[in-house]
Amino acid sequence: MVTRQAFLLLLVAILFGLVANLVSPNRIDFIGQYRDLSDGSGPVVPPAAQEGDPPFIDINVAQFEFSTGTSLFIDATEPEEFECGTIPGSINIPFEHLPDDLGTYFDSVLQGIPKDYSLIVFCTGEECDLSLHLARNLQSFGYTAVSIFFGGAREWEKSGFDMERRKRCGQL
Amino acid sequence: MRSVIDNDYLTVVSRLLIGGIFISASIYKIIDPGAFAKTIWYYHIVPGAWINLVALVIPWLELFCGLTLILGIFYLGAVFWANLMTIGFIVVLASTIVRGLDIDCGCFRAAQSATEPAWNALFFDVVMLVFTVQMLLSNSRKWRLQRSG
Repeated sequence: MVTRQAFLLLLVAILFGLVANLVSPNRIDFIGQYRDLSDGSGPVVPPAAQEGDPPFIDINVAQFEFSTGTSLFIDATEPEEFECGTIPGSINIPFEHLPDDLGTYFDSVLQGIPKDYSLIVFCTGEECDLSLHLARNLQSFGYTAVSIFFGGAREWEKSGFDMERRKRCGQL
Repeated sequence: MRSVIDNDYLTVVSRLLIGGIFISASIYKIIDPGAFAKTIWYYHIVPGAWINLVALVIPWLELFCGLTLILGIFYLGAVFWANLMTIGFIVVLASTIVRGLDIDCGCFRAAQSATEPAWNALFFDVVMLVFTVQMLLSNSRKWRLQRSG
């Protein structure tokens, strides 16, 4: 009895889910085109990415830019997480705590950095979209060479690169 | 203890509470399956190709589960899914905490940013589980449209 009823409920849910999607104004593809996890085969691009967003770079490009020293790495995460571990030499612009006057704030934090200097924005890992929001804001305030390393500090660490830790915490 | 579990009033409160929660949790997901699919993606548990299908079916299962719990039809099946889904949500949320992920649970609305701690949602789900298990164990059949089953 339980199995039959449970199966029937599931069947009805599947039927309604599929049919409703056909007529919904917010219709989505039945089979999604999502990248599963960072595996070094290309940049991680979140589903929230839109046309016009700064480009997404993968771990190889991030590491290349790091080793050439011609980019500024910006960690968009919370100060506490930033202290737990970040890409060495990064600065912290915690997106959650930005003041209202963003233009003045960016200019003061990035003092002396030309607007066309390469900025690589990242966050803790693929579950964190703060880097995306910060990068969009930087772009809208005239920074022309912003890119997003969405794999973030976790992918950096997983790839075996050194981390800068200001205090001891759990796993990133 | 048995008399508490079988209490008609307690059982109907559980049905209304859990049914109402499932119905309200399903609404935004049904209206905007794309946003729910993105929430699922952030959990990194469902394989990419399956994410949209899961995002399309789960909300309807929540809705029908909630409705049938309240109305008391297909009751055993509804109680089965209520328990299974609640346990599933608990496992998923616990895994995000263990993996150190910091994500919005997306339980009742589309995830806006990746900042909500999973602990609150986990606690909420554990409390829900108490009520779903009570329904599972209760022999009360009062105020159901369908008395058999």
